[in-house]
Amino acid sequence: MSNQRQASSASQTPHLSPAELSYLYTSLSLPGSPIRPDGRSPTQFRPLTAETNILPGTNGSARIGFADGTQAIVGVKAEVERTTLSADTLDAREFDPNHDRESQEGSAAVSGHGSWVQMSIEIPGFRDDDALPVFLSEMMRESLVGSVGADESGMAGGLKGRLVINKRWHWRLYIDVLLLSQPLSYPLPLLSLTTHLALLSTKLPKLKSQGEEDPFFDDDWAVAEYLYPRSSSTLKKSPSQHVRPPVTLLVISVGDNVIFDPNREEIAVADAVLAISVTRGEGGGLKLLSIRTIDPPSRLTQPGIPNSENVNMLGATPAEENALTQATGEEEVSGVWRPRRGGVKRSVVANMVRTVLKKGGVGEEVLEGLEGVEVV
Amino acid sequence: MAITILPPVVEDFGPRQSDSEDEMSINSDEDTEMGGVSLDRPTKRARLENKIGTGIVTPGEVVTDDPQWMRGHGTYMNPLSTSIIATVAGTINKTNKLLSVHPLRARYTPEIGDLVIGRIVEVQSRRWKVDVAAPLLAGLPLSAINLPGGILRRRTSADELQIRTFFSEGDLVVAEVQSVHQDGAASLHTRSLKYGKLRNGVFLAVTGTGGSGASSTSTKGGVGSASAPAASSGTGGVVRSRRQVWTVNTANGGGDVDVILGVNGYIWISKHADGAAAASSATENVSITRMEEMVSSSIYSSQNDEIAPQTRREIARLAQCIRVLVQGGVRVDEETVMGAYEASLQVDLEVGDDDDEDELHQEGREYLEGAKARHILEVVIHGK
Repeated sequence: MSNQRQASSASQTPHLSPAELSYLYTSLSLPGSPIRPDGRSPTQFRPLTAETNILPGTNGSARIGFADGTQAIVGVKAEVERTTLSADTLDAREFDPNHDRESQEGSAAVSGHGSWVQMSIEIPGFRDDDALPVFLSEMMRESLVGSVGADESGMAGGLKGRLVINKRWHWRLYIDVLLLSQPLSYPLPLLSLTTHLALLSTKLPKLKSQGEEDPFFDDDWAVAEYLYPRSSSTLKKSPSQHVRPPVTLLVISVGDNVIFDPNREEIAVADAVLAISVTRGEGGGLKLLSIRTIDPPSRLTQPGIPNSENVNMLGATPAEENALTQATGEEEVSGVWRPRRGGVKRSVVANMVRTVLKKGGVGEEVLEGLEGVEVV
Repeated sequence: MAITILPPVVEDFGPRQSDSEDEMSINSDEDTEMGGVSLDRPTKRARLENKIGTGIVTPGEVVTDDPQWMRGHGTYMNPLSTSIIATVAGTINKTNKLLSVHPLRARYTPEIGDLVIGRIVEVQSRRWKVDVAAPLLAGLPLSAINLPGGILRRRTSADELQIRTFFSEGDLVVAEVQSVHQDGAASLHTRSLKYGKLRNGVFLAVTGTGGSGASSTSTKGGVGSASAPAASSGTGGVVRSRRQVWTVNTANGGGDVDVILGVNGYIWISKHADGAAAASSATENVSITRMEEMVSSSIYSSQNDEIAPQTRREIARLAQCIRVLVQGGVRVDEETVMGAYEASLQVDLEVGDDDDEDELHQEGREYLEGAKARHILEVVIHGK
């Protein structure tokens, strides 16, 4: 019944009673140190298990399991495709197979195209044209391919540029994301982390042909090159060494507190839910790719009824107090849940972004943690 | 460290096989004749044995085709053959010659007198439909609740019209199973001051559990967390027991905290509110003659009292202790919860000594997982 509504909102919200929502909200918005229902610190993630290269038929794959039992598998497959040239790219005569960026400015054929990355997300219980999978895949694909296009420094090793083989041929990437369990909380962080890991483990066969020849590859899989060069790899020394696929983190704000890796109950009381995509740019610094707001489900919850307005409490509350609170009407009564209305303060949003991006912040730790996963 | 990434736990099937043989025979009586009989699997199964965990059978799996066994719960027997086939995923139980499969997860089967916690999912004209983790929604008739002020009278159409002021969708209710219908649907009642709407606390679902079968009171279904360590061979869950509601005097200045364990696996942990406290929180000056009235009318309140951060912290700790128990496959009752709570305080003290200066470590140390969780489980299982 309410599946459609839930699909557009941040999660399949559990029905929580107003008393529970109020308790959660007050605990999470305690100034300074929010008390999360599972005792984590605001920036702490639940432990997760990760492994890579689990699917033999793919160029790269990964599986991540969250502590709450949700699991995702991502497979990345690559295919060689002929580049259909548009008129304006034909006159880009010079081409350097080493993706030298000076020589390829302004050419779609050499700088790559966003549509070369295809992403499909399968979530049990949802059709593939439902709002949630479509929105999620677009959100993730966008930050993946967008990580180069908008950047004036034009990293040569960005994903789109990396997919170019030569002027007439390119790789097409198919990223298939499969959520193995029911989405207990908003599945975006899980899917994003798994995709990141799968892309890290993706290998493309080594190119043997040169220049404008039809591509011809080394059939020795052992010499295949990583799509995103690993730091240990000596095959390719380039400034793109540090470029990493983006990670999208789900961050919520409750009151003035910023909370990472929220579980379902925490999302249910959030003032704002943001999906923040970051990646490691040149020089190892973090770069903000996109911020998306997600409809917070707290909007749709039922308000609590203060004792003073409760019909069943009329005999219990003294008359004078009764009159007083009725006069104030919609005023916030402590201990009574009110659905959050209106936006979120700019300072809170700024704080959220800062916590992700700052040196030694959450974004860096997550990227480091993922980097540390052994790629088999 | 904000994020912990672990390598996946690979179940070691080699040694586990012998373990599970022991497990399987735990329940069998000291029957010398039976001692030699191991559950012989068909030869096809034997070849696959390296790949399949033997302690757990899956639906459709042949448990044995030895004709000496009788089939029990959770099994099926083809009339044309002697082989016993599992119909649920679970562990094998042997009682003399009776072979049954105890499910890993099952829904709650209501029984008269069970204390349950339920969530209102539907409001109808004369009753509420309550989710109690049973296969069917339970009904709570309007006639089975206390009216505010404890008035005893017939329910009028006026009561029917304002049915949502008592309970509305999403509200949590603690109730008792009054009767069970033919189809297994339960009918609840809240005709006691102990029962009614829940507030001032957190809800925890140890779901996927069930009071599966009245006889097996020692083990009920549990949640098999996919990422839980392989140690979860047993099955946890809430157990029908003498005391399902009790008050914990918490440490760290948390005050008194009530724990309600619903037999259906729903758990409520809240700030302790005895009658007088609840009344005084509603109004400051209440005469002693109106006390009774106050108590029963605050049952339908959805306004939380003031709860100190210390109390909230201890409530969160208790909730985590129960989560740890469930993940470890330990049954949840007063004894184990209190054991786990004591153990978690102990763990906290030990860790606190190590890195008291380090602000960052101190931040997340209330989160119980990994080594801490294992330690707590050890204390609970072996320490008593």
